[in-house]
Amino acid sequence: MPSEEIKRYWKSLDERAAQENGPAEIERELQFDLDQAPLRHPRRDFLKLSGFAFSSALLIGCQSAPIIKAIPFLNKPEEITPGKSYFYASTCGACSAGCGLMVKNRDGRPIKLEGNPQHPLSKGGLCAVGQASILGLYDTHRLKQPMRAGQPAAWNEVDQEIQAKLSEIAARGGAVRFLTGTITSPTMKWMIDRFLSRFQYARHIVYDPLTCSALLDAQERTFGVRALPSYHFDKADVIVSLDADFLGTWISPVEFTSQYASGRSLEGHPPRLSYHVQFESRLSLTGAKADQRYCIAPQDLNAIMNGLASLLARKRGIPFPGTTTLPSSIPAHDLDQLAEHLWQARGSSLVVSGSQDVKTQILCCFINEILGNYGSTLDLARPSSQRQGDDGELQQFIQELLNGKVQALFIAGANPVYDLPQGEDLAKAISKVPLVVNFASELDETANASTFVCPDHHYLESWSDAEAISGIISTMQPAIRPMWDTRAIIEILAVWMGESKSAHDIMLESWQRNIYPRRLKAADFQTFWDRAVHDGFANVEPAAMTPKPLDISAVKPATESPSPTSNNLALVLYPKVGMLDGRHANNPWLHELPDPISKVTWDNYACLSPRTAVQLGVSDGDVVRLSPLSGANCTIELPALVQPGQHDQVVAVALGYGRNSSARFKEIGPRWFQARPSTGNDGLVGKNAVPFLYFDGDARRFDGQAVSISPTGRRSELASTQSHHSIAVPEKLAPFGEKQRRIVQETTLPAFIRDPKSGGHPHHPPEGELWPDDHPYKGYRWGLVIDLNACTGCGACVIACQAENNVPVVGRDEVFRKREMHWIRIDRYYSDSQSGVDVLFQPMLCQQCGHAPCETVCPVLATVHSEEGLSQQVYNRCIGTRYCANNCPYKVRRFNWFNYQHKDPVQNLVLNPDVVVRSRGVMEKCTFCVQRIQEAKIEAKRLGQKVPDGAIQPACQQSCPAKAITFGDMNNPDSLVAKRMADPRNYRVLEELNVQPVIGYLTLVRNRQGGSGGKHHG
Amino acid sequence: MLKSPIVTFFLLAVLLFSLVILAAKIGEVRLPGNQQGYEPTQPIAYSHRLHAGELQLDCLYCHFGAQTSRHAGIPPANVCMNCHKFVTAPLGAIRAEDELAQKEKREPRRIISPELKKLYDALALDDQLKPIPGLEQKPIAWVKVHNLPDFAYFDHRAHVSAGVVCQQCHGAVETMERVRQDQRLSMGWCVNCHRQANQQGVAGKAVNASIDCSTCHY
Repeated sequence: MPSEEIKRYWKSLDERAAQENGPAEIERELQFDLDQAPLRHPRRDFLKLSGFAFSSALLIGCQSAPIIKAIPFLNKPEEITPGKSYFYASTCGACSAGCGLMVKNRDGRPIKLEGNPQHPLSKGGLCAVGQASILGLYDTHRLKQPMRAGQPAAWNEVDQEIQAKLSEIAARGGAVRFLTGTITSPTMKWMIDRFLSRFQYARHIVYDPLTCSALLDAQERTFGVRALPSYHFDKADVIVSLDADFLGTWISPVEFTSQYASGRSLEGHPPRLSYHVQFESRLSLTGAKADQRYCIAPQDLNAIMNGLASLLARKRGIPFPGTTTLPSSIPAHDLDQLAEHLWQARGSSLVVSGSQDVKTQILCCFINEILGNYGSTLDLARPSSQRQGDDGELQQFIQELLNGKVQALFIAGANPVYDLPQGEDLAKAISKVPLVVNFASELDETANASTFVCPDHHYLESWSDAEAISGIISTMQPAIRPMWDTRAIIEILAVWMGESKSAHDIMLESWQRNIYPRRLKAADFQTFWDRAVHDGFANVEPAAMTPKPLDISAVKPATESPSPTSNNLALVLYPKVGMLDGRHANNPWLHELPDPISKVTWDNYACLSPRTAVQLGVSDGDVVRLSPLSGANCTIELPALVQPGQHDQVVAVALGYGRNSSARFKEIGPRWFQARPSTGNDGLVGKNAVPFLYFDGDARRFDGQAVSISPTGRRSELASTQSHHSIAVPEKLAPFGEKQRRIVQETTLPAFIRDPKSGGHPHHPPEGELWPDDHPYKGYRWGLVIDLNACTGCGACVIACQAENNVPVVGRDEVFRKREMHWIRIDRYYSDSQSGVDVLFQPMLCQQCGHAPCETVCPVLATVHSEEGLSQQVYNRCIGTRYCANNCPYKVRRFNWFNYQHKDPVQNLVLNPDVVVRSRGVMEKCTFCVQRIQEAKIEAKRLGQKVPDGAIQPACQQSCPAKAITFGDMNNPDSLVAKRMADPRNYRVLEELNVQPVIGYLTLVRNRQGGSGGKHHG
Repeated sequence: MLKSPIVTFFLLAVLLFSLVILAAKIGEVRLPGNQQGYEPTQPIAYSHRLHAGELQLDCLYCHFGAQTSRHAGIPPANVCMNCHKFVTAPLGAIRAEDELAQKEKREPRRIISPELKKLYDALALDDQLKPIPGLEQKPIAWVKVHNLPDFAYFDHRAHVSAGVVCQQCHGAVETMERVRQDQRLSMGWCVNCHRQANQQGVAGKAVNASIDCSTCHY
């Protein structure tokens, strides 16, 4: 037995309280009182009804079948065979990170997005937002034609009118402004430049709602180059992040997650595990993975950066201008040790900061420079263009706009009325501009204020390109004909310049002119182009970029602001993993994706630390009012959420909510007499926290605003999935006389090196079999391994599964009733640690048990075992007793309480034709993507071979940016899954039940001292 | 009431009558969804007897999807046109026109049979099989004969590559003027064949025809 205290895990604060105060809380979860539910229908009624049902079923069955038409092609395109999927390589347009895509098409329409495994940046991963963006293609709220002054118009009318106004403005010499988000497409940039060059006073203004302007400014002031460096987290042995959520939302999460995971793979000898330290004020996805996490108030982050810079400057022997007093928020010894760690890992360390304070970012450049990291873990010679927004220019532009100096305004991929502070003033100013053209594809907040709306294609309908990292140009190609009468921006600009060209021709011209000359290998243009479109990207010569040596005079200590007084809190605005800046607020999949940390769906909320919540006397769901101390008029009322791991002086609110496009979700989910809307009182999902953003010098700040907070006395429940489907049990039911069931396992690096099995279960699994061993698995035996060390909990697998398996959206009200339908959920466990809480993510899906408890209780044999080890769920046989779900120890079965909405025929185009759309009264669960297994098996049979290892990837595995999931044939000893099953870290959840799950989990290893975890015996 | 002999007699007569009717129809009793014998009229009176029987075209020439895809597929019109670019009417009609033309000392006209006319109309072709400018092509809406429920996934590829002959499930299509559903296509019928195939093999080869539910249901 282990000598030290075993870590106790909890999912919610209630659960932790129950662990301390006795088991009442958990038992309440498990209790159900029969007296409270009297039998309302006696047996006779039941018999009558069933007799009626049976006879009507017979009657219905006697009806003649409907005539089904089969309409073949007249001229079949060569690459399309009905019933077979085909893929187009493309680039994700859901954010500016530019991940590679494989668009899975079926019979002419895209049905699923997969990561492109060959893509040099995303390496096959795709985040939840990217996965969900396919739903935007089939969004019936998209504009179907251009609009003029709120009325539908025809393209030629709009063209003529705009052209006339443009030539007038050009003659007058009026100011023309083109406002966009970050544009990584070289072709689009080229077209905008050409378009603007026709006007005397024209400027292209770029801003990002989730800006990195301070970081760009810092690079400019220190190295003379206004560009982001490309980051290489895989090459870093020590990673220090100050409030940069690089695994969740910062710049390019998929790329960074893939790098991060490969720097922590543990598979080499000796195992390599980077040391990751996170300083942050609220618990982010990145902080949850950190080996060492410090909970720091936002105003103290600067002091830490100062301290770190001065310590490292001393080690390097460079004078550091300014104070050398060390920050008080963390022990001096810790900071010393961290500086020493970084210094030891010179050239293979990385310090990143998510701050919007230019001085802090300059210090960050300075630290990386003296550590010699430029050129290894971050690279300015191949800069990234994933964020280009310039808040300084934005402010100038806002002034121009408010002063009425702008004559023509073009807005593309930006929604300033929503995502900039003073949105209402901007809307008024925009409506006064003589010519406003918005390229928005929906009537968003800004489009409502614009005279002309010329809808752009969805990115899956467009030709485009993206140079996210200099030298890697990804291509975007249409996977479907435009659904409606929309037009690509580059085509529109071409028309207004008097050249009527298709987007494809514009692309060709741009590539021939600007990109083909940068080719690395000799090839004629056609070959070069074809190759790029086929692969989805082209490697070319990086754009010439010569950073100057670091300008030391720019380095100054960051301003250390005073702590707020005890009554006030510092507001931190942050993007959520699913919602980001709110541009996808029209996407129901993303609203229903539980936030990886808080597990709340369909809302934003005010996160408070447990202590602050007690001081204020609020608990989850109590509505609080936040008002800024500066006196600005932007009060907001939000339900509170008590969030462990958050700093006591901080209240954190997610951005991206309260978008006008979320009004459509009022009636989402089943309509029945008890149904309540998924939106709030104002008819929108969540509240917009953008008014709390403010400009500080040149940069837009997300944190540091001092606010006062007061409870309103009202309540607004949060649809949190935190306590749903818990597999914890009360203490008296815990096995082996322990206090808790063992569900997750973790260990530390030193303990792992001593004993690779450390952290494992100290007890032997039960021996002996109740069942005769008469069902050997002779052919394939499918198994799956999840590496908890790699998993970041980002939720990409949840949405991938939803898209692949036609999992319905149930709406907020049904989530309250624990009826969310996701086949894979990510359980997030907290445990107490010195720094507050440790977090552990465990994806939980059907364990396809060898001795499945669900199978033995089904009265109609609707769930039975297959010869290949799958626990099969047969929908057409299921009568909905729900016995199986009750008997499932992992709580992974989902019941269709309703026929969930499939009324929108356009939205239904996204459904996967290879998977049944389940109807009411049917149980469902993860199938290991059996449709993909069947496809691969049949294809292998056709070719006369066995299914090669790796040929089958369930949707969750395919999109996982961290490659945490491995699927394959366990009977093949050479398969990767068999090797991972034999890994000493491998364990099964609830092994003691002897249900023989086939999902192996690999123990999490934290790179920190101490904690040997459980030891093995015998 | 039953004590009245008239009523009893009447009821007995009704019962007897029902039983007679039932006995006569007993052979035709089928479960809901069983469409054995379904033989719908098609938009074009295409004859499998002529093409597959008399002319002995291979099934896979037109239904090429059966080798590579789940669906055997109805051939696209461009496959029809591989032959019907040249063959526009039955041989007899063309010969008759040739003879008539010879008699009348003129060039023989192109004869187009009324059924093939529908194909050319769909492709927007004129009498000389030239595209009619401005006319849109209209796909041909065939009526599907073999329908499986939405919850059953059948894959032609697996069966064709294992060597199952088409006729085993579709019957002697080469004798059918209009295609008719020959077999029951019920689950029991599928599973029986799978069991048999596992014992006896298909076309002399041992096969592994799975009877797991998830072979067809997912």
